Amino acid sequence: MKRFFDAELETFRSQLILMGETAIEQVRAAVQALVETNPTLAKQVIAADDKLDRLEVEIDDEAVRYMNLRAPIASDLRLVIVGMKASHDLERVGDEATSIAKRAIKLSAEPPLKPYIDLPRMATIALEMLRDALDCFLQVDEARAIAVCKRDAEVDNLNRQLYRELTSFMIEKPETISRAIELMFISKSIERIADHATNIAEEMIYLSHGRDVRHSDELKKPPAPPTGEVSRP
Amino acid sequence: MPDAAPSHVFHRRSTVIRRQEAFLAWVLRSATYLVLLSGALLLGNIIWRGSQTVFVPRPPFVNVAFLTQAPESLYMFEYQGKKMELGDQAFRQFKAENHLGDIKAESYVYSAGGIFPCIVGTVLLVVGSMVIALLLGVSAAVYLSEYAKQGRFITMIRLAILNLAGVPSIVFGLFGFGLFVIFLGWNVSLLAGWFTLAFMVLPVIITASEESLKAVPRGFREGSLALGATKWQTIYKNVLPYALPGILTSSILGIARVAGETAPIMFTAAYVVRDKLPWEGLTRWTDFFFQGVMALPYHIYVVSSKIPQNEYTERVQYGSAFVFMLIVALIATTSILLRNKLRKRYKW
Amino acid sequence: MPSASNPAHMENNPAKAVAFPATTDTPAGAVAAPIIDIQDLDFYYGRNRALDGITLQIQEKKVTALIGPSGCGKSTLLRCLNRMNDLIDDTRIGRGTIRIHKVDIYQPDVDVIELRKRVGMVFQKSNPFPKSIYENVTYGLRIAGMNNRGQLDEVVERSLRGAALWDEVKDRLHESGVGLSGGQQQRLCIARAIAVEPEIILMDEPCSALDPIATAKVEELIHELKRTYTIVIVTHNMQQAARVSDRTAFFYLGKLVEYDQTRTIFMKPANPQTEAYVAGRFG
Repeated sequence: MKRFFDAELETFRSQLILMGETAIEQVRAAVQALVETNPTLAKQVIAADDKLDRLEVEIDDEAVRYMNLRAPIASDLRLVIVGMKASHDLERVGDEATSIAKRAIKLSAEPPLKPYIDLPRMATIALEMLRDALDCFLQVDEARAIAVCKRDAEVDNLNRQLYRELTSFMIEKPETISRAIELMFISKSIERIADHATNIAEEMIYLSHGRDVRHSDELKKPPAPPTGEVSRP
Repeated sequence: MPDAAPSHVFHRRSTVIRRQEAFLAWVLRSATYLVLLSGALLLGNIIWRGSQTVFVPRPPFVNVAFLTQAPESLYMFEYQGKKMELGDQAFRQFKAENHLGDIKAESYVYSAGGIFPCIVGTVLLVVGSMVIALLLGVSAAVYLSEYAKQGRFITMIRLAILNLAGVPSIVFGLFGFGLFVIFLGWNVSLLAGWFTLAFMVLPVIITASEESLKAVPRGFREGSLALGATKWQTIYKNVLPYALPGILTSSILGIARVAGETAPIMFTAAYVVRDKLPWEGLTRWTDFFFQGVMALPYHIYVVSSKIPQNEYTERVQYGSAFVFMLIVALIATTSILLRNKLRKRYKW
Repeated sequence: MPSASNPAHMENNPAKAVAFPATTDTPAGAVAAPIIDIQDLDFYYGRNRALDGITLQIQEKKVTALIGPSGCGKSTLLRCLNRMNDLIDDTRIGRGTIRIHKVDIYQPDVDVIELRKRVGMVFQKSNPFPKSIYENVTYGLRIAGMNNRGQLDEVVERSLRGAALWDEVKDRLHESGVGLSGGQQQRLCIARAIAVEPEIILMDEPCSALDPIATAKVEELIHELKRTYTIVIVTHNMQQAARVSDRTAFFYLGKLVEYDQTRTIFMKPANPQTEAYVAGRFG
């Protein structure tokens, strides 16, 4: 039976989706600003962070109000709780994007250290992870969410690889240290963005199945090798 | 019976208690049957003896003369070696036809003819007094139940009404005689009888009506008032109709009482004999109310105690009693049918 | 304390698309004039003071919930508003006034019948009359003198639609009202109340005898009805008060403890007694 306050829940979902899209866009734009050496774009990203902060406050406020006045049960309750947590993660994603943008502005003052290949690659994976996690919100897909969690390892590996590369750079050419450090921070930001995407994916599993998979070994294991027969061409 | 399985929590109680229960049930059953038996015997006796007078073997199977003629004296005489019984008019006609003049005949008063005037009188008395009793009684009940402020005064009124129910009917008769016949100057009349009988049955009507009104849920009144109805509208449309079946039930009891009481009508409405029927000999239509009538219970009393008893008067007694019961049953049945119809219509 | 400065816009308006309701704004416009204005009201059952200095304003076309433990006076106050307490012997107003549309309803020249036509009531135990559904709905109109069959038919349909009952009973209007289920009966009583087109509807625990689905239907109905009528509802069910009402008043022992936006009462009530009650820690 449709209740008059169902619309409030719909609005809540829409706001979450809006926040997710905004966060993804912020990250994409920040990385683009870095790669294209576009300080103007970077400044836009920094300015737009306000929007995400406001959305987080609104979503939290509405979540508390809804829990208070509508006493949600079961999946409604999980939605509200997940919404609060996800909004926090997304706000942090926005902050990381802002941080990337700020460093992009700093880096734009000097010539690039080397062509940006790894960072955009990391960023692409992180963005895909965010996109997948958020899509699970629209359409529940536990497998997809689990895949996101497992993909975090990729980003971690890339991050470590980049650290090693940049460390070598810095040792060889000390004049590149300031730029390299900025790049290391950027890499760290992207790694953190991927972590937040993982959190969101775990929250989506909780939303859809009521199972709390955080900190469990289930997702830390590497994916099992395929056991089926391989058909030869 | 051997109990193979071990005893469990729901094991049957001891046989002593079971026997006690059965015994008590039988005591109660016997008491009920005793009552039924007594009633059956009484009714059976009247029906058996009375139907011998009222029903005849020939068509139309009913003693029409008994039901439609006025009481007459019965003359027993011998004529040409035969024993003959004839009523007063028939006897005179017989004498005239056969030019007999005065012959020796034994007369038994009220043993011939019929009881038609008594039937008419009783019906009139019952109908009239019930109408008055219901009007007065229901009005009083509505006032007591819906309008009166509860308090000591009203409690005393209710007590007074209840006490009235215990007053002997002869006292009512004297009261009616003093007030209606003498003081108001109505003389022995239908009106006096109606009011006396009505007052006699009023306590039952008022109490039962009040109970019926109280039984109507409060929600009906509140709901009606909350919609902007006045008090009377609420009572008239939403309370009284649903109390009617109960009120009618009380009226059935009242009918039986009113029809059967002799003492109240003895001084106020009933004549031992009256040769005119109530609608005969009226100069003005109002005279109808100021005339006395014959009545069945009084007639039975007269026939049973005021005249010498013999087998002929017995016939009349039982016949009258039987007819009387039939009439009461008829009026009561009508009332019950009406009540059932109302119950269906005002079901709640 | 009743805060007249924070009215209407706290309530959620889900009809709007994506924007959340403004939670901190106070609209610049004027405060809606209260339709019921209770000032310093005392009420006695015999010697017993059941209401003590109640001051309360009920806003027009809003749902106001009266909550509180048993015996706190909320039902008494409700029944004062349409003077149903007059039916009980030995009751009186001690001091104070109740004004509806600025008229003191206890002043001598007030016609109680007129008052009750404008202030309707739905009772805790649904009391459909044992007449047909049609006759139930038209009862209030008939006693007011309306006899035109066409008009009555129209009102019956309008009222039953308004009570979300039309589709369920339109083919059996001449069947008895008591044959309906509990929830339907209560909606029939609501239809009966709105047939006389009151301005205010008083509801005394309307759902307490109903199962959850029937309760939900009545709550949806209340949500619809508040567009047209001012509703004052007494309820024991805290979640219900939170769901349907715009403002909530908490009573205890005949006194008004707190009266505010529903959101405030349930989120951060000013009075610790209120908090204890809504949290279920009272007593």
